[in-house]
Amino acid sequence: MRISAGNLKKSDFVNFQGGICQVQKADFYSPGKGSALMKARLKNLITAKNVEYAYKSNEQVEVLDVTSVDMQYIYKDQENLYFMDERTFNQSALPISVVGDISKFFKEGEKMFVYMYNDKPLTIRPPMSVRLKIIEADDAAKGDTVSGAKKPVTVETGATVMVPIFVKVGETISINPETGEYTGRV
Amino acid sequence: MEIKTAVKNLSNYKIYLQVEKAINEFLSKNNYLKIELPVLSPVLIPESYLKVFETDFNFINKSEKLYLTPSPELFLKRLLAYGVGDCYYLGKSFRNFDPPATLHSYEFVMLEFYKMEANYMDIADVVLKLLQSIKKQTIYQGKIISFEKWEKITITEAFKKYSNISETELFNHRLFIKKAKQKKYQIDGFTYEDLWSQIYSQEIEPHLGTNGYPTLIYDYPKEFAALAKLNSDGKTTQRFEFYIEGIELGDCYTELTDWKEQEMRFKKEEKVSHPIDKGYIEALKYGLDDCSGIAIGLERLAMIFANLTSIDQLKLINIS
Repeated sequence: MRISAGNLKKSDFVNFQGGICQVQKADFYSPGKGSALMKARLKNLITAKNVEYAYKSNEQVEVLDVTSVDMQYIYKDQENLYFMDERTFNQSALPISVVGDISKFFKEGEKMFVYMYNDKPLTIRPPMSVRLKIIEADDAAKGDTVSGAKKPVTVETGATVMVPIFVKVGETISINPETGEYTGRV
Repeated sequence: MEIKTAVKNLSNYKIYLQVEKAINEFLSKNNYLKIELPVLSPVLIPESYLKVFETDFNFINKSEKLYLTPSPELFLKRLLAYGVGDCYYLGKSFRNFDPPATLHSYEFVMLEFYKMEANYMDIADVVLKLLQSIKKQTIYQGKIISFEKWEKITITEAFKKYSNISETELFNHRLFIKKAKQKKYQIDGFTYEDLWSQIYSQEIEPHLGTNGYPTLIYDYPKEFAALAKLNSDGKTTQRFEFYIEGIELGDCYTELTDWKEQEMRFKKEEKVSHPIDKGYIEALKYGLDDCSGIAIGLERLAMIFANLTSIDQLKLINIS
């Protein structure tokens, strides 16, 4: 589907200089000299490198028609995350570098959507939130009563998250995996 | 769109207030008169690339169109022609096509000041002192930015240095478009101005103001400055912009005071939907002495001093 670059949005997939890229950020920019621009940060899904590109806001861009498939996250090794399609038992591998930092919040066995294009996996669709159990936390220091004070805790996937000091070991919390921020107790 | 309350931005907002205060103090100390202005006007200066907000003012059985001003220039130029002297406006301006983004908002705070018997490089000196009056140096995104001096580069030098586009190619529309094609930019249906703007943003802006000093980039092709004085080379105008870490903060030019030239350039501007401010030409006919002025986005500037990457982080209420 062809769209005006001005309508590009985060997580769209585009072909850019011969590679499939995902839009990480699309920011309107008007330099006041000629046409308005859409400044996009594009992540190449092979090299995992980001590139900044200023599209003219009314230039036509081909947005790839991708599908998302419900898969189970099974395990990871040094380089890849492995997913399984529960209907076909087909396995797909995605490089950790492509999926990015959010993968540190993935728990084995969780269901996730994987974006596919021409039967090839591209990357995952980040869940809105993940629920993880706290396995390690310090008790709040005495006298630390400042409103909004936070402490680091370790969750079951091994990731560290900043939480309000009243949150304890064994509790399950929800996290926005894209920002890594604590959003509440569940 | 919705209203977003962000009291968490309170400490950033206080930095914004400090910057605003320092600017008012500096300009007042240097005898610039602060001028309050209407934000609604029945006529505007024709600038085809600016889209404006319009509203209907209804009274008795009549109705009149009014427009939110995209800049205070039309008012200030009149006042300058009729003798108000060095002056400034620090207040809201409106542009009806800037969606809320990192560096843009459809309503924003603009500082615009003018100095008589001055050209653009005199204004550059004033801006440097103004920045120093806010702070001698600041740390932005981990880098020290000193306001001790400008790093200066002309548009022609910058295109050569960062884009490998020669002076001949830069000013010749056909050659420039050919070069853009070689660089794999989409050229079908786009003008010289469109492509110029794209290459400038893509290949040049990211380098400006990245060496520990603000960068002053100057002498734009005449296509990009409808209200600026022409240089003696006949193809560039006395316009500069300044940057810190690739972020454009201000736009200055030596004002065009020749009313015939101004009237001609207005006619060249594409058809605009609002009535054209004829009083502006009248004021120039009355006679405008040599002067120069600059527009600075206050939120962007405060964003630098608050070490932030987006203007909405300065605000307690955002609408987006």
